[in-house]
Amino acid sequence: MSKFIDRPRYTCALGGALATLRAIPRAIPIVHASAGCGHNLHNANNPGGGYVGGGYCGGLSLPSSNVVERDIVFGGEDRLREQITTSLEVMDGDVYLVLTGCMVEMIGDDLDAVVTEFLGAEKPVIAVHTPSFRGNSFTGYELVLSALAKKYVAKQAVKEPLSVNVLGIVPVQDVFWEGNLKELKRLLERLGLRVNTLFGEGEGLESIRKAGAASLNIVVSDIYGLETARVFEQVHDIPYITTGFPIGADETADFLRTVAQALSIDPSVTEAVIASEKSVYYGYLERLADIYNDIDLQRYAVVVADANYAPGAAKFLSDELGWLPELVVITDPVDENQKETLLKRFDGYESGLTPAVFFDTDASAVRKYLSKIWPANRNDRYYDSFSPAVILGSVFERELAAEFGYPLLTVSYPVTNRIVLNRAYAGFSGALSLTEDLLGLLVAGR
Amino acid sequence: MAKKIKQIAIYGKGGIGKSTTTSNLSAALSELGLKVMQFGCDPKSDSTNTLRDGRYIPTVLDTLREKSTVKAQDVIFEGYNGIYCVEAGGPSPGVGCAGRGIITAVELFKQQKVFEALDLDIVIYDVLGDVVCGGFAVPIREGIAEHVFTVSSSDFMSIYASNNLFKGIQKYSNSGGALLGGVIANSMGTPYSREIIDDFVAKTQTQVIEYIPRSVTVTQSELQGKTTIEAAPTSAQANIYRSLARKIAEHTESKTPSPLEISELRAWAAKWGDYLLEVEQGKVTSQGQAI
Repeated sequence: MSKFIDRPRYTCALGGALATLRAIPRAIPIVHASAGCGHNLHNANNPGGGYVGGGYCGGLSLPSSNVVERDIVFGGEDRLREQITTSLEVMDGDVYLVLTGCMVEMIGDDLDAVVTEFLGAEKPVIAVHTPSFRGNSFTGYELVLSALAKKYVAKQAVKEPLSVNVLGIVPVQDVFWEGNLKELKRLLERLGLRVNTLFGEGEGLESIRKAGAASLNIVVSDIYGLETARVFEQVHDIPYITTGFPIGADETADFLRTVAQALSIDPSVTEAVIASEKSVYYGYLERLADIYNDIDLQRYAVVVADANYAPGAAKFLSDELGWLPELVVITDPVDENQKETLLKRFDGYESGLTPAVFFDTDASAVRKYLSKIWPANRNDRYYDSFSPAVILGSVFERELAAEFGYPLLTVSYPVTNRIVLNRAYAGFSGALSLTEDLLGLLVAGR
Repeated sequence: MAKKIKQIAIYGKGGIGKSTTTSNLSAALSELGLKVMQFGCDPKSDSTNTLRDGRYIPTVLDTLREKSTVKAQDVIFEGYNGIYCVEAGGPSPGVGCAGRGIITAVELFKQQKVFEALDLDIVIYDVLGDVVCGGFAVPIREGIAEHVFTVSSSDFMSIYASNNLFKGIQKYSNSGGALLGGVIANSMGTPYSREIIDDFVAKTQTQVIEYIPRSVTVTQSELQGKTTIEAAPTSAQANIYRSLARKIAEHTESKTPSPLEISELRAWAAKWGDYLLEVEQGKVTSQGQAI
């Protein structure tokens, strides 16, 4: 029997596609699937993503063909044709993406042929095959962005120098996507770049249309956004670089240097930006020196997060906050090569600490790893307990946190216990927020 | 106590003579005084044609396409000698899901308890091909047919399809699915064709329930849009179908077959290939052509 996943921390490709389109105003999803798909995925994306909402065309107002048994037996193409026609008529948007669910893909509905019939429509209609068996939410993000890159992004032979796109921050799966993109944009702009984050504040379809003019794609992830970057490379001749997901002064300085080097930006400019950012950053952090030492705010930590947050947060905890992130569990399904890449992110900590890193998709597995890395208390006279500790994870770590009495900060999908608007954890400002939230847990009772 | 309705399913490779055999079987069973329904489970929906003078009937799914609910009574048509004819129907080639169509049609009949209402003695499902997906396995799952017969010639691809069907039966046999009654050996023309089938059933631990020779009478009857039982009731061929019908009417014990693994099946076929070479070289002569 193949392995089952205990409480997966993502939805399906269709769910990821819907979440990505949620982040693009005036891009209208048309779901070709059973009635349950759109609604249930909204019920996962909305609360799991810190209450991201459905928007103009999400949740219960999501256009969907809602195929029934008759459509499955005879093929759902007529129903889809009708749904596209009426959605174009009723929904006010600038581009329409037809997304498929499993059942219509199983029976082989010819999505591309039906969508081709709408070539003459006033607004573009784009087909994206998103059955769950093609992958999870992250795949959905790649499929939507790849489709837009191929069919919607304008071809631009001459690239704008110092213009970049940011990929790899997956809306909703990164619950703090909008704040994070805003912070990364702010920092990159300080290097003198024109920054296109495709979605988020001030972005929209117009930004996506113009993404072909960039001279570099920055993939802020070792895993996500790479497929899209490759499509941009093939179709729009835009090279890409990958970077870690930066949290805190060290990682963000490295991030800025990597980008600057790829674009041959004068190092003195980069260093000046880093120095100025650090000055603000440490200006705030310095305030905490007293309380940190007075009541000892150092903690052990367990990080249970996706492939972006886990390395970023663990490094920040170790090398900037002075904590002891002894255990890291990366919860996305990744292949052996990806594991190797990710593991390198945990090497060479300045603190000298080497976290034990495990790859496991099961929520219940974390407890097992904790007992594996830390000796149990056998009524020894002197026992070095894993305490006090804090868990950075998702809301699925609530039981674990309660069991051990560790405070929990939810940073990784699903985050149903927080309202998230523009909060960021990336970059310099994000690291300050993370510090506020983490240390805030510790002083909450005072 | 309500009487037990005998439900059987007849499978086999496309074009092997499944519908011809099934329709003649239905006709012969009806002559025995049994109330018979023939349920065609093939999107081509031509299983029952020869019971209705070559005419097509509206299918369950065609009706479902037009109306959101279907009353089973609306898609049952009487044919030769009062046989109830039903065609499941299906989508046009290349679209939709024929397998799901079979499931939908069969479930609709089951839900509406039609068989009981019609006081049937026997229901025969005539099912397409070699169980390519779950939908075509529906008649052999729990609660539908109890006995399965497969129509096969000595042609390798036909035996291959039968072996696949045996795998399907074996799979469902532990969960109350249908069991195998035996093989209806069709198009028996040469002596070796009988030997091949006999050898195959021995290897897979089943039996041949009837040998049906290749016959021009069948072709002539079909061209008139009739079964052999109706068009040539006194022919030798009609009597063979009657013999088959009696055996099936009396059949009670079906078994789980032992399908061959694909490598075993190939090795088995290769052995027969060598034998056929000897036939070609004149060492063996055909006797079946006299029929």
